[in-house]
Amino acid sequence: MTTPQSQAQILPGTLDLLILKAVSLGPLHGYGVLLRIEQISRRALLIEQGALYPALFRLVHQGLLRANWGTSENNRRAKFYELTAAGRKRLREEADGWNRLVAAIASALGAQPEEV
Amino acid sequence: MNLLGVLRTFAANVMHNSHIDDEMDEELRSHLENRTEDLERSGLSHAEAARRARMEFGGYQKFKEECREAASVHFFDTLLQDIRYGLRTLRKSPGFTAVAVLTLALGIGASTAVFSLVNAVLLKPLPFPHAEQIVFPWRLPRKGLNLGFDIYPWGRVDFLFFAQETKTFEDLGAFLSGTFDLTGSGDPVQLNGLRASAGFFPSLGVSPALGRTFTDEEDRPGNEHVVILSDALWRERFGGDQSILGRAIELNGAAYTVIGVMPPGFAFPRANEMPDSFTFAPQVQLWVPLALNRGPKILNESDELAVIGRLKPGVTISQAQADMDVMGKRLERDRKNGQGWFRSNVTPLARQVAGDTRQPLLLILAAVGVVVLIACSNVASLLLTRSLNRKREMTVRAALGARASRLIRQLLTESVVLAGMGGVLGILLAKLAIYFVKIFGPSSIPRLNEASLDIRVFLFALGVTLLTGILFGLAPALGAARQNLVESLKDGGRRSGSSRASQNARNSLLVSQIALALVLVIATGLLTRTFYRLLKVDPGFQTEHALTFQLTLPASKYPDQAHIVSVYRQVLHHLQGLPGVEAAGVTETVPMDGVTESTAIRFSDRPRANGPETPMANYTMVSPGYFAAAGTPILRGRGFLESDTANSMPVSVISEALARKYWPGQDPIGKRIAPRSLSFPEETIVGIAADVKRLSLRESPPPEMYVPYTQKIWPSLLEMNVVVRTVQDPASLTASLPAAVHSVDPDLPIANLRTLNSIVEDSMTVPRFAMLLLGAFGGLALVLAAVGMYGVISYNVTQRTQEIGIRMALGAQRGSVFQMVLGQGARLAAFGIAIGLAAAFAATRLMRSFLYGVDSGDPLTFAAVALLLALVALLACYIPARRAMRVDPMVALRYE
Repeated sequence: MTTPQSQAQILPGTLDLLILKAVSLGPLHGYGVLLRIEQISRRALLIEQGALYPALFRLVHQGLLRANWGTSENNRRAKFYELTAAGRKRLREEADGWNRLVAAIASALGAQPEEV
Repeated sequence: MNLLGVLRTFAANVMHNSHIDDEMDEELRSHLENRTEDLERSGLSHAEAARRARMEFGGYQKFKEECREAASVHFFDTLLQDIRYGLRTLRKSPGFTAVAVLTLALGIGASTAVFSLVNAVLLKPLPFPHAEQIVFPWRLPRKGLNLGFDIYPWGRVDFLFFAQETKTFEDLGAFLSGTFDLTGSGDPVQLNGLRASAGFFPSLGVSPALGRTFTDEEDRPGNEHVVILSDALWRERFGGDQSILGRAIELNGAAYTVIGVMPPGFAFPRANEMPDSFTFAPQVQLWVPLALNRGPKILNESDELAVIGRLKPGVTISQAQADMDVMGKRLERDRKNGQGWFRSNVTPLARQVAGDTRQPLLLILAAVGVVVLIACSNVASLLLTRSLNRKREMTVRAALGARASRLIRQLLTESVVLAGMGGVLGILLAKLAIYFVKIFGPSSIPRLNEASLDIRVFLFALGVTLLTGILFGLAPALGAARQNLVESLKDGGRRSGSSRASQNARNSLLVSQIALALVLVIATGLLTRTFYRLLKVDPGFQTEHALTFQLTLPASKYPDQAHIVSVYRQVLHHLQGLPGVEAAGVTETVPMDGVTESTAIRFSDRPRANGPETPMANYTMVSPGYFAAAGTPILRGRGFLESDTANSMPVSVISEALARKYWPGQDPIGKRIAPRSLSFPEETIVGIAADVKRLSLRESPPPEMYVPYTQKIWPSLLEMNVVVRTVQDPASLTASLPAAVHSVDPDLPIANLRTLNSIVEDSMTVPRFAMLLLGAFGGLALVLAAVGMYGVISYNVTQRTQEIGIRMALGAQRGSVFQMVLGQGARLAAFGIAIGLAAAFAATRLMRSFLYGVDSGDPLTFAAVALLLALVALLACYIPARRAMRVDPMVALRYE
């Protein structure tokens, strides 16, 4: 798959967080997760399709997601993922951690010579 | 990971791999279709869109592999980690590990070995198609009549009536055993055969390996000279000749055409699969048609038919029983004779074959259950003790954020690892035990030789292993996880294990161990006393230095009594002439050989009694010299003499039991007696012989009546047993005996040459076997209880080191500390023994049928075993008590 310059590879370890966030907005099937992440990152983040499903499996087996078979908008049988209580909690924790990290890095990067 | 997730993943990985693959396939397909649609919407052709979608996705197999890993790796990783950690901690306390593994191995090994026996004898499917449809409608004795057997044979007319009238049987066959002299094909030999009606083989559903079974035509008088051979006979005597079909062989002097050869291993019915009241050979070697006369009843007809049937599909046992009951009622109504003799009991093949072994096996299974319980409670108590010692470790881990479920899982993994080690060792022990049981086990237990570690037994062992591991790891694990973190930390995480609750738990485990062990050892004690009582029983004949064998005269060569008597007389004469022979005689039946000839008798000096009052006696024809050869003493009067002939006064010798029963306090000599059903002249009683045990050493000897074979004509005279008493070891005569017989008639086959000793010993194999097994389990229970006792008391001493130190610092004497520890053990032991005695009193009542000469509540056994257990318990406390005595007060106090 070719990677357009406008899109960025996601950081290692953040895929789970993004999936949890995407699913927290409503139950989604796998392809929907992909589209939702693209949509909420304003097409800035690119998920490798092959990497998505192992991550989904892992999250299900960690008890963070729940999977159920249902019918998609185009009348196809599809597996829908939604957040469990544990998943919601994890999303909060990871988001907090991420925000702290981002703030810290931003603050570090914004440092001026006089502040040192 | 939550427990449900773990289980689901595990199940998915182990069992439903294909299911998970299907799901992944479907999810992927749905993804690709969605993507394809999106790409199509951007203007691509469908084919191009589909190609792009697949390309974008990448390696499909790699993706599936990653999914599988993502789902499982996490779980198995931690499991492996837990197992490694468990093994490490087990290695750190080798004493604990060794005791626990050994205990579990003994428990698992014993239960696996016994289960393999139960599996072979009671559970394994029988080698007949739809074996559940095969039944035996045995005849029951008249109500209220006790002739020594539970089950009787049917008559010819009864069987023919059933075969014609039945509504529930697809096939119905009759059979009875017989011996056949095979001549004209090498040395003459006597073979064990079966006369079977045409319905016999269809009932079993077994087809021959070669040829066919009997037709209805062949099952009619005149056409019955056809024979089916067993595989073993075919190979031994006929070299496995494929062209044997159609060949004529000579049986009992007549020509029989071979029409079939049965498959290897087929030898139905074997003696140990049939009721005691029927005599069958250990292995049947050939089958000939029964060819019953279909005419009306003949006077004095006495056929002894066993009946086998195959139920129509869908018919239940109780429907077949109802059918038999209806037919029995019709016979009852139509017959003048034999009223009350048409009840039946329809027995399924499986129960028939397992027979008497069911009870001892279930007894032993119960015993092994007790051993497993003791072993498990032992390990549980060890784990409990250990988990209290590890409280600090758990507390620290919990404080560092380990979840309770994680700790439980860790501890459970450890106990399952422990159980697994015990299981592996246990299976090896079971293999060894099965090996020994096969060598020393009694041949009278059917299918014992089939015991093995098959897949079912293996799964059983696995199940016991996992169950013990989880069950007895769970309590300590939950206890450890539930503890109050704050309390434990305040306590320094140390030694809060002496809390009353856990102390009580360990004490009650110990008390129940002692109680269980007591029950088992008492049961063993009762069986052992039974066994020694049986060994001391006087059977009424002398088993040492005596041999017996069967002699069968061909009717063609010995047509009348004069010939028969003459040949036996010559044979006996030759035998008595052999060096080392003290006495020789012939008899219809050898005592303890499982055969009796019970018959109704009448007395000249009293009126006829009927119904249950009918006087009965075993009626046995013997030769002069028999009593001396068998070693049965003549208590009064005389035995038989050569001068008792067909022309002299008919005489009889009766047994003490008969004399006591009908002439109590009188002298029966000179009185007259006769079998009732026959028109024999009355015999004058000339002597009283000692009572003889006929069927089992447990019985009270039945009344006996002996008559000299020289005075009676009876078809059974053609088949007699010779008994020879020797001066030295009877084995030294086994070669010269046949020679002596063959010097009279070289064609006489000799069968079943055995010592009287071996016949009696055979009757003892099942009680000996049960006693040995129970003894082994009783010993095991004792050892385990002692180990448990030692463990608990030791632990208590360690717990109380500080307290003991204070006591000693305050001036307590060493002796009183010793007494205190011993006293604590003694109290627990006494409690366990008291409960055990009560339980044993109830439990041993269930084993009354196994006992002889001992009451199920025998006070001597109870007292002796209680004392033994008390001694073992005190011994187990002795070492910890000594250790307590040596506690140094200063060290103990500094300990805090």
